Amino acid sequence: MAPDLTTREKLLSDRVLLQYEVEQFLYAEAALLDARQYRRWLGLLADDIHYWMPIRRTVTLADIDREFTKLGDMAYFDDDRTLLEVRVRKLEAGSAWSEDPPSRSRHFVSNVRILEIAGDEITVEACFHLYRTRLEADIDSWVGRRVDTLRRTDAGFRLAKRHLFLDQTVVQSTNMSTIF
Amino acid sequence: MADGGQDLRAWDRAQLLALFDPATGALDRRVLSDEALYQLELERIFARGWNFMCHDSQIPEPGDYFISYIGEDQVIVVRDEEGGVNVLLNTCRHRGNALCRAEQGRAKSFVCSYHGWNYALDGRLIGVPGLKTFYHNDIDRSRLGLARARAENYLGFWFATLATDAPALRDYLGDVGRTGLGMICANGEVEVVDGVQKNVISCNWKIAVDNLFDWYHVPYSHASANTAGFLDIAAIQHPQSQMVMLGEYGHAIGGPGIPRERQDQIDAMSDEERAAASRAAPPNSPRIRPRAARDLMGPVGVRSEGHPNIFPNLWITLGGLQMCLRLPRGPSKTELWWFTFVPKGAPPALRRAMIAQANHVFGPAGILEQDDGENWSQSTRSARGFSSRGLGQYIGMGLGHDQAVAGEDGEHYIESAVGEHGQRWLYRAWTEWMAARDWTELKANHTPPPTGPV
Repeated sequence: MAPDLTTREKLLSDRVLLQYEVEQFLYAEAALLDARQYRRWLGLLADDIHYWMPIRRTVTLADIDREFTKLGDMAYFDDDRTLLEVRVRKLEAGSAWSEDPPSRSRHFVSNVRILEIAGDEITVEACFHLYRTRLEADIDSWVGRRVDTLRRTDAGFRLAKRHLFLDQTVVQSTNMSTIF
Repeated sequence: MADGGQDLRAWDRAQLLALFDPATGALDRRVLSDEALYQLELERIFARGWNFMCHDSQIPEPGDYFISYIGEDQVIVVRDEEGGVNVLLNTCRHRGNALCRAEQGRAKSFVCSYHGWNYALDGRLIGVPGLKTFYHNDIDRSRLGLARARAENYLGFWFATLATDAPALRDYLGDVGRTGLGMICANGEVEVVDGVQKNVISCNWKIAVDNLFDWYHVPYSHASANTAGFLDIAAIQHPQSQMVMLGEYGHAIGGPGIPRERQDQIDAMSDEERAAASRAAPPNSPRIRPRAARDLMGPVGVRSEGHPNIFPNLWITLGGLQMCLRLPRGPSKTELWWFTFVPKGAPPALRRAMIAQANHVFGPAGILEQDDGENWSQSTRSARGFSSRGLGQYIGMGLGHDQAVAGEDGEHYIESAVGEHGQRWLYRAWTEWMAARDWTELKANHTPPPTGPV
């Protein structure tokens, strides 16, 4: 007979369970991208997703609030679902030369922390490392922090927000034709 | 001659001029790979020309600065207490340390982090720790200010040159450069949108410049943008109604032109009629610019829907929404910097739409721009192979089939199908700049924009 859980144990066990669910979702999502299963990846997105990567700059400590561009100003990505669908159709086109021959990518997600739970939405912070190789010897390595919002639905989590904060100022890449 | 892909001899005038043959369109591929040519470019192209720095709205207040480049020389572009703009080499006169490490910000003065030398916003050396105790007051501070570039602005766009004998900016720009900057301001005064996208591509800077004149690549390089439903390439390319403008010193515009008859109709409209016609026009219709645009762009320039390049490396695109600087970082490396402009006080919906277009079309993640970099990298790469380097580039499209005509204000332009007049003008100017030892020689020995068969 299982012993009764104390309140503290119950809370902890709920948190562990949620952490597990969130991480498993993020890993499964990453695996779809690495396997170039872009259509299935689109299936994990909420209709109102906001996918955004502001521009990062080298600024002094006194100006640190200007390190990233703000919402509504210039960005590397500032996409809604329609734009992400364009990106996927482009990847599938057979004429997206920057991704055909296809890149080889590996999406690492770590340091996953649940920041907030509000109704059916969970805000998750994580570190990302997207490693991409292309052609003979092109290597891109993008590291940063990201803040995702996962929305719980009857069909499982849906990604409602992905905000990416890259650890580069001059992007050391020919392009960013890969999905982060 | 060559070892390891590099020709380390000094290049003489005849050899430099022979690198491009305007009569056949043959370009020697060593211009994309040779280290000695690259070093000469830093001196004879970048230090000599007027280089775009930033826009007035990026440095509105005294002490505001923005870091930019003249070739590989890093400069501080800073507004001083009197409202003037100084362009200063970002290198302390003592040990050469960089004074500014941030790429933008506000400063009261520039203090070196190495030994504390302190420079005013106009570059004067105003503080030297140990002036009395260590230097015994035996130092001429007036000779040790920061090195200055000449700075001038046109329509709020600041440019700098390291050549004391360069012509004034306005004269340097000529009709084509002024049309390009006027295109940005055609709908009124502009301000920069916060954020300069920057990325690095493994290509020579000239292949990136060459590409901006190139409306031949659009259906092929960017086929996937069309397939994905992002844009209708057939509707934007206008392959049969192109208008190329050629300006003095290598400036040029390539791309679609609004037919003369259509512009005549537009010219007859009031601004109110133009605004109404713009709203009613289907997507991808010829641009209907306000009356004031004609003063800024000239009677021929106002018909341009193409891509101006202000020689050497400043591309103006998307009808003046953005500019892209191609900064040299060695023969096989180029940094791209994207600046975006919107009309001052633009309604929020318009501002959002303009920024969305800028974010989604260009920049490293742009639906169009993504596919360019790899073409340029591979073209640069093949300029390093011994045999592939010897093949040359063929830039002969339309050669001998078109007429350059002079416009009513002295503009030189060519109306034809898609061709490579802009690229030929670029490389021809490049050889002339490279062959000239100073501005006096360049002024005396450059090809004026043509009229007649081209």
